Amino acid sequence: MERAEPQIETHTPSINFPRSGGWQLAVAQQRGTSHETTGEVCQDAYSLAMLSPEVLVIAIADGAGSARYAEAGASLAASAGVGQLCARLGEAGAALDETSLKDILYEGLGAARNAVEAEAAAREVSAHELATTLILLIARPELIAVAQVGDGATVIANQTGKIIGLTLPPAGEYINETTFITSAEALRTAQTTVWHGRAARLAAFSDGLQLLCLKWPECLPHEAFFSPLFHFIGTTADESQAGDELGRFLSSERIKDLTDDDLTLVLASLTDCPDGC
Amino acid sequence: MSTLEDSVEFINQQPRCPCALILDTSGSMTGRPIEALNAGLQTLRDDLQNDNLAKKRVEIAIVEFNSAVRVVQDFVAAANFQPPTLTASGYTDLVGGINQALDLIQRRKSKYTSNGVPFYRPWAFLITDGKVTEYEQVARRVREDEQNKRIAFFAVGVQGANEECLKNISVREPKMLAGLNFRELFLWLSASMKRVSQSKPGEMVPLEKGTWEAV
Repeated sequence: MERAEPQIETHTPSINFPRSGGWQLAVAQQRGTSHETTGEVCQDAYSLAMLSPEVLVIAIADGAGSARYAEAGASLAASAGVGQLCARLGEAGAALDETSLKDILYEGLGAARNAVEAEAAAREVSAHELATTLILLIARPELIAVAQVGDGATVIANQTGKIIGLTLPPAGEYINETTFITSAEALRTAQTTVWHGRAARLAAFSDGLQLLCLKWPECLPHEAFFSPLFHFIGTTADESQAGDELGRFLSSERIKDLTDDDLTLVLASLTDCPDGC
Repeated sequence: MSTLEDSVEFINQQPRCPCALILDTSGSMTGRPIEALNAGLQTLRDDLQNDNLAKKRVEIAIVEFNSAVRVVQDFVAAANFQPPTLTASGYTDLVGGINQALDLIQRRKSKYTSNGVPFYRPWAFLITDGKVTEYEQVARRVREDEQNKRIAFFAVGVQGANEECLKNISVREPKMLAGLNFRELFLWLSASMKRVSQSKPGEMVPLEKGTWEAV
C-alpha cells in the first residue's frame, strides 16, 4: 500500500510581537518557472525564529531537483536546524564566543541531517531522495554567525554600507556540482563564519539568485543588486508590505527572463532600540 | 516611488552548457541516413529555439569525420545555431573526429574560465555507423576525460556500427539507434540539454531513456 504523504508545515514568519528596535524582516519565495511548467512544487524552504527583537535565527534550504522528496527534505532540514539553534541559544548562560557559536551551528546542521535521515528511514528511501542544501544563520547586534552546506549565500552591509559576502557558493569547476546536507562530506566541508561587528543589513538566499547577484567565479557580491535591496529593507515601515513588495520583485519578468529556479530571499535590517540594545 | 524591479540591477551571466556533436559523414551514410541526420539537426535547432533559457545556455559545436576531419561549426549559442547540410563520402576517421572534438571542448572550457563564465560539464556526442580497428589511444583519452569529469561522452551507433568498438571507447553504455530515428534522437538530446542547462547548481540530472533506442 502506498504510504500517505505526511503534511509538513511550511514555516512562515510569525513574528508579530510589537517591537521598536532590533531586526526588521522581509521574506519572499517564488516557485521557479521550470517547476511551474511541470506542475512541480517549490523545493525551497525556510524557517525563521526571533528569540528576542535582537536575536534572529534563519534557515534556508534548497531541495535538489533530482531528489524525489526534495521539498520534504528542505522543509525538515530548515525547521530542525532552526529548532536546534533556538534550543541551544535559549539555554541560560549559553556561551557566545566564536568556538561556542560554531559548535551550535554544527549542532544545527547535525540536527537537520538527523531529521532528514530519520524521515528517509520512515519512508524507506535513501537519504539522497531528500537531498537539500542548508544555510543556518544567527544574527545578533554584535555579530553574525552562519553555516552553509552547498550553494546559496549570505551577504551583509556593515555600518558604513560596505557590502561583504559572509558565505558564498563553494567553488567547483562546473556549476551543477555541490554538496547536500545528506552528502557524506557535508559537515566536514561546511562553511562556517562568525563575523564580529554590527551588520546593519543582511541578505540570505538560495542558489536561484546567485548567478544574478554574485560575480563569477569569485562570487563577489554585485553592489548594484544589494544596495537597493538593503536600502529598501532599511527604510521599510511595514514588514508585511515589504514581504509583498519583495514577492513582486522575485516574480517579476526581469528575473524570470534570467532564471527558472526556485527563489528564496530573506532580508533583515537592524534598527536601534530606544534602550540601546 | 520606484519599485525594486526598477532599482535593482542584475549581473547577466548565463551558465553555458556546451555540447559537441561528432558526426560520421562517411560514404556509408549516403542517402537516407545523411538526410535523416540533417533533418535531425534542424529538429535540434527548432526544439532548443523554443526554450527561452536553453537557447541562451546550450552551445552546439559540430565536428564531422569521413576521410578527413572538419569543424563544421565551432561552439555557438543555440539561439544562433544554423544547422549545416552535411554530405556523405569517403572513409571513417572516427579517431580523428573524436580527438578534434575533445580539443575543441578543451579550448572552449579555457575560454569560459578566462572570461569567468560559469558552465556545466561539457557533452561529447558521437554518432557513427562506422567500423574502426585502431582506436586504443583515443579510447584511453575518452575514458580518462570521463573519469576526471572533463566531459560526459555519449556514443550512438547507427545500423552497421561496431558496437564492440563503441563500448571500448565510451564509459557509458553506447546506444544503438532504431532504424533512422534521428528525429527522436535529437529531440531527446534537446530535452536532455534543457534539463542539464536548467539544473540547479549542485546536482546532476538523471537522463530519460530515449524512445529512439533499439531494444
